[in-house]
Amino acid sequence: MLAESRPGVDNFTENYFQLFAIPAQFEVDSSLLMARYRQLQAQAHPDRFATASEAERLRAVQFTSFINQAYTTLQSPLERAAYLLSLKGEDPEKVDQSHLGADLLMEQMQLREALDELPRDETSLAALERMREEVQDKMLRRQAQFASALMADVLSDARKSFHEMQFLAKLLTEIEAGEEARLGY
Amino acid sequence: MALLQISEPGGKTSAPQHRLAVGIDLGTTNSLVSASCGQQVEILPDADGVALLPSVVQYRRGQPPLVGTGARAAAESDPANTLMSVKRLLGKSAAEIAALDQYQHYALDTSRGDAAPAIATAAGPKDPVDVSADILATLAKTAEACLQGELEGAVITVPAYFNDSQRQQTKEAAKRAGINTLRLLNEPTAAAVAYGLDSQDEGNVVVFDLGGGTFDVSILSLQRGVFQVLATGGDTFLGGDDFDQALAQWIAQQAQLTEHQDPRHRRRLWDYANRCKHLLSEQDSVEVSYGGWRGQLDNEIFATLCEPLVRRTLNSCRRVLRDAGMVADDIDNIVMVGGATRMPIVRKAVAEFFAMEPLTSIDPDKVVAIGAGIQADVLVGNKAAQDFLLLDVTPLSLGIETMGELVEKIIPRNTTIPATRAQEFTTFKDGQTAMSLHVVQGERELVSDCRSLARFELRGIPPMVAGAAKVRVTFQVDADGLLSVAAEELGTGQRAEIQVKPSYGLEAATIEEMLMASQSHAKEDMATRALKEAQLEATQLLDATRAAIAADEELLLEDEAEQIAQTIETLEASLETGTVQQIRELTEELNRIGSGFANRRMDAQITTALRGESIDDVEQAED
Repeated sequence: MLAESRPGVDNFTENYFQLFAIPAQFEVDSSLLMARYRQLQAQAHPDRFATASEAERLRAVQFTSFINQAYTTLQSPLERAAYLLSLKGEDPEKVDQSHLGADLLMEQMQLREALDELPRDETSLAALERMREEVQDKMLRRQAQFASALMADVLSDARKSFHEMQFLAKLLTEIEAGEEARLGY
Repeated sequence: MALLQISEPGGKTSAPQHRLAVGIDLGTTNSLVSASCGQQVEILPDADGVALLPSVVQYRRGQPPLVGTGARAAAESDPANTLMSVKRLLGKSAAEIAALDQYQHYALDTSRGDAAPAIATAAGPKDPVDVSADILATLAKTAEACLQGELEGAVITVPAYFNDSQRQQTKEAAKRAGINTLRLLNEPTAAAVAYGLDSQDEGNVVVFDLGGGTFDVSILSLQRGVFQVLATGGDTFLGGDDFDQALAQWIAQQAQLTEHQDPRHRRRLWDYANRCKHLLSEQDSVEVSYGGWRGQLDNEIFATLCEPLVRRTLNSCRRVLRDAGMVADDIDNIVMVGGATRMPIVRKAVAEFFAMEPLTSIDPDKVVAIGAGIQADVLVGNKAAQDFLLLDVTPLSLGIETMGELVEKIIPRNTTIPATRAQEFTTFKDGQTAMSLHVVQGERELVSDCRSLARFELRGIPPMVAGAAKVRVTFQVDADGLLSVAAEELGTGQRAEIQVKPSYGLEAATIEEMLMASQSHAKEDMATRALKEAQLEATQLLDATRAAIAADEELLLEDEAEQIAQTIETLEASLETGTVQQIRELTEELNRIGSGFANRRMDAQITTALRGESIDDVEQAED
């Protein structure tokens, strides 16, 4: 019976949420997700087939790749949001500038300028850390907005929040790159 | 019906016996082999009772190679034919080797091409793979003598930072040594396994591995026997040798030695510095006397001298913490690996950084081999596999060259493996019918800064306007961290694929040729070995197929069952009398016929994997 309700496993088209048997929504219980992920891996990993036939080993590699991809997607808030949008038939790749709020764009510019003005040595690490926390804070707020918009099925709002999350994620990457450069990695 | 007759092949599916499998730490300086001896995994000593095999091989004309302690003793009298530290040469081109100071006294032989350099010795050209193979064969012999039986296979460890060609070459070396590689295992993962299983710990573990020439740091999450590598990083140009050098410089300064010393004096000074360093691991200060100068050296001075080096290790720690999305507080244990972690100044700095004492109860030189031995035991099925699993990651990003010599990353670093990712590309010119694909590995944006792994071409694209063709490039990394790449034009289904080869870009024929050449001194031996390998592979497949049928008979289709039964019979018969070619062909045939059945079994297994989870669990998750 269960096999019939999980139709996509054989060709890896199954919905990631179904794969881990968790509800398809933005809020995810990360420890449950991890537990389910490891449970699946424990069954399917190529190490379980170390002495099996080549066909079985190949199948194991393909299936665990799929499980890994699914887990990576659901684990990252940004990728999870994009995936949820795509399940609703939206194309998350299509970014429309008009979706972004003017206030956010303004803040972005100010933050970017501030980032550029920081001295290029270790003295600015503390300032960078503060900036990171600030952006992280905004990110959490956008995520909450996205979650409720999706729950209410107001897709235009969800899309807007998603695009703002993308923007903030890019900014976070830049801040982290700035930190790494100053730490001399 | 026929099925029942198949599943009882002379009672071969009876209770599995203990299978012999070893763990091998193929090190730069020393190598070790371990195996499970009853309850515990132990390092296997050679006939003289010695556990550490120096990774040194001396090649002599008309004689078998001398491996280990004997070879190391010959290093001074016969430097040109005594090959040491070849692990550093794996995957390197002739130009790269020529640039390394340490290998200046070897005569490079590039007759097989710049990409596959060998070293000219009295026994002919030997490439790093040959040398590694001779070391591995010696370890296998030690193990077989110790365990009194034939090895089923080995888990061989590699640095987490090894790129694809270095991994391929390690596997190739095992093949040349006649060893079945069960798995290439990252060294830090092996170390965590060695500690983890004893204590049944849960939590996050940092593996801090400072060897002679390289530094690796990894973060693993441990939970109920699952070891998941979350991030790995390090510095391939930092190791214990750098601490010797820092100390040597200080001594030279104190003793007011001239800047330009000849290599022999420099070597002497380095050896002296190395001895001082070792003493400082046992006592807090040492009397230094060199070149007429006498003085006192303590760990405080040593720490100041090496502060930049230690800081680099800590920076790498910060970086992997970040890659894993953690802070130092999230770490529950630190495992120390590599002889250089014996230095108190290193232990102290690590303890301060993570605010806890690192684990040092297992000998840092043996911990990797022990972990590999445990994993080998699990892989051949001697241990209850259900509660033990390793999930590893790619250490370096894998990508493809795009316009303007830029790299498009397809699989980013620290992706859990196995991994498959696809990306679509398009044509650049009108009417373009072929696409050249260049596969690279590394973190940099420019192709020239990354390591080139392979080039191949996709031909037969129908002529279209630029940008109209859709080519999907798929990267697949298996559990050993080895890459294969496939390209497909989506409109026509035209395909091309490549398994990234050892020594980047070598044709299969060249490798075969190298294999022949490397074993020319033992041709008859090779023919027997090839037959034995084919027989072994066939037997493994026969066993696996029978076990599969016994377990999931109901998943077989009727005519499929008969086909499989027939092929099993023919293959079985050919085992004794068939040629290598016949056995191989039949093995392949059985693999092919059985693939549908294998797929169905896997799907059935997966669909039952989560069956234990009731709907209640899902609802609780929603709360």
